[in-house]
Amino acid sequence: MKSGPKLGTKILLNVLLILYAIFALFPLIWMVILSFKSDAQMYNTMFVFTPTLENYRIVLFTTPYPRYLLDSLIVSGLAVVVSVIVGVPAAYALARYNFRKKEDIAFQILSFKFAPEILVVLPLFMIYQKLRIYDTYFGLIWVYQLISMPLLIWVVRGYFEDISVEIEYAAQVDGYTWWQIFFKNLIPLIKPGLVSAALLAFIFAWNEFTFPLLLAGTNVQPITVAITKFLGTDTAHYGQLAVAAVVSALPAIIFALCIQKHLVRGLSFGAVKG
Amino acid sequence: MARITLENVKKSFGKVKALDGISLDIKDKEFFVLFGPAGAGKTTILNNIAGIQVPDEGLVKFDGQIVNLVDAAHRDTAMVFENYALYPQMTVYDNMASALRSNLYKKDEDYINKRVHEIAKMMSMDYLLERLPSQLSNGQKQRVAMGRALVRMPKVYLMDEPLAHLDAKLRNAMRTELKGIQAQFGTTSVYVTHDFMEALSLADRIAVINEGKVVQIGTGDAIYDLPINEFVATLMGDPEINIIPGKLSKEGSVYKFAMKGSGREYELPVDQDLFAKLDTLGVKNVDLALRPQHLRYSFESKPGYLPCTVYSYESIGNKSVIVAEIGGQQLRMIAPNGLRVKIDQDVYVDLDLSHSLFFDSESKDFMARYNEAEIRRIAEPEEEG
Repeated sequence: MKSGPKLGTKILLNVLLILYAIFALFPLIWMVILSFKSDAQMYNTMFVFTPTLENYRIVLFTTPYPRYLLDSLIVSGLAVVVSVIVGVPAAYALARYNFRKKEDIAFQILSFKFAPEILVVLPLFMIYQKLRIYDTYFGLIWVYQLISMPLLIWVVRGYFEDISVEIEYAAQVDGYTWWQIFFKNLIPLIKPGLVSAALLAFIFAWNEFTFPLLLAGTNVQPITVAITKFLGTDTAHYGQLAVAAVVSALPAIIFALCIQKHLVRGLSFGAVKG
Repeated sequence: MARITLENVKKSFGKVKALDGISLDIKDKEFFVLFGPAGAGKTTILNNIAGIQVPDEGLVKFDGQIVNLVDAAHRDTAMVFENYALYPQMTVYDNMASALRSNLYKKDEDYINKRVHEIAKMMSMDYLLERLPSQLSNGQKQRVAMGRALVRMPKVYLMDEPLAHLDAKLRNAMRTELKGIQAQFGTTSVYVTHDFMEALSLADRIAVINEGKVVQIGTGDAIYDLPINEFVATLMGDPEINIIPGKLSKEGSVYKFAMKGSGREYELPVDQDLFAKLDTLGVKNVDLALRPQHLRYSFESKPGYLPCTVYSYESIGNKSVIVAEIGGQQLRMIAPNGLRVKIDQDVYVDLDLSHSLFFDSESKDFMARYNEAEIRRIAEPEEEG
């Protein structure tokens, strides 16, 4: 029964996977290559060129690039922190308690995620102007909840649902308070899901473009918006643009590598449940 | 140690009535068994005693004190959950130590260490202490769940099918062990099971629960020999008790029982008390109930034996069960092992009516039985005085 696929099939599958990997990775590789090319060699070389760090020097030391990076970190990081603080209890409530319209509320939260941003951004722009939170960290962190919170709540909810409620009962009978149970017994059990959901939420927030473009832009400039500045109206410094993109991709990659262990398991487990 | 009283406890989940007016009085140091079919509400009763659930109506009392509003942590109970409810991220040792490390039941680590090892040794699972629950078999998990409760000295042990997932050998050993532990600690215990053998062997008293109601409370003997209705009678015993519908008639001073399936009329052995009781009740349509051990069989025709055919023959280790059939009426009886029995072959059955119980055919309630006074005296010693 369990002989596995035939050799021919195996080879075919691997070839297809390699083709797909090239297709998916090539733009990234191309971006890295570009970042080491000088403007002079930009259009007349392919893979053979004299690598230079000039682009990196210009972007990192002569432009306010580090500040954009910091803005992105602040906004995305705090957005995720807020999502975790609010989302985990919300997920717990949705998983454990029965209340009226529970599924409607859960769906409503999810629907924030699939409404096109452009649809809501104009009214939000007006509201933000009135509330005077336009172009502030607070404003962006708030609006980023539309992106990070639904994901977090839905993944973590699945995890809570997988924990049998008797474990909580057992801990109650053992003499623990609800808070102790929550931190001692539940948080360790949802950790894989929480970590992976938080990371994904961070990446989504980090990559967000529409909201920061329209709801910020002067005081607060996340990297996604700021990169466009390297595309001048008259000249396009592709090398510098590539550097900006490469560096901006780094934090997400670093985080993902750090918690890789949790990531695959975290998302394949519990999260899949409806 | 505590006396636990439930007064008219009701609990619903949505539209489902889980408990419908449960009243129990569990005495101090008693081993009390809640017995009933799946979905009867046994676990819900346990949860209400533990404080995990709060009754919609009615009172839960510990030693006369109403504890409805006391949360689970402060009730000082120890519970064994049917699905074990072990903490997956902790080792067996930490699982067992959990309660003794909480603020409420705190003990120093030396004591915990001693106690956990003592209990682990008793349950022969000391080699498991460093493992995580995911590395245990179901039987081992169940022992850990038991151990976690036993390390404590609570007011009451609540056990929800704690032996259900153990293999037969270990189950018997643990049953003996449990009885010993309870006798030694003298802690009030409430024990849920759907296994009548467990109920009979462990219980000081048994409460039979069905559909959220208490059907009967009594000692094992009382439940087995004087079941309050046919439901209780059929729950206790394996193979199941034979229920034989028929008609009673009186000729002179003698009662006769006409069996419905075969049409055979039996003259009932004389028992003046029984006949007097049947006289007062005056019910004609009755179900006669007879335990399988009181049926005799023969493969040759004998006078007075009822000619039947074999419906099934099943060997269950040290004995076997023959099910005979006559006119749609099945009769279960116990036979020795190693018989050569074919389905549909002839078999002759004799009923030892001097052990029969009588139930009202309509209400299915207990009417009377042979030797009732004598059996009542043995089965209900405390109720006597």
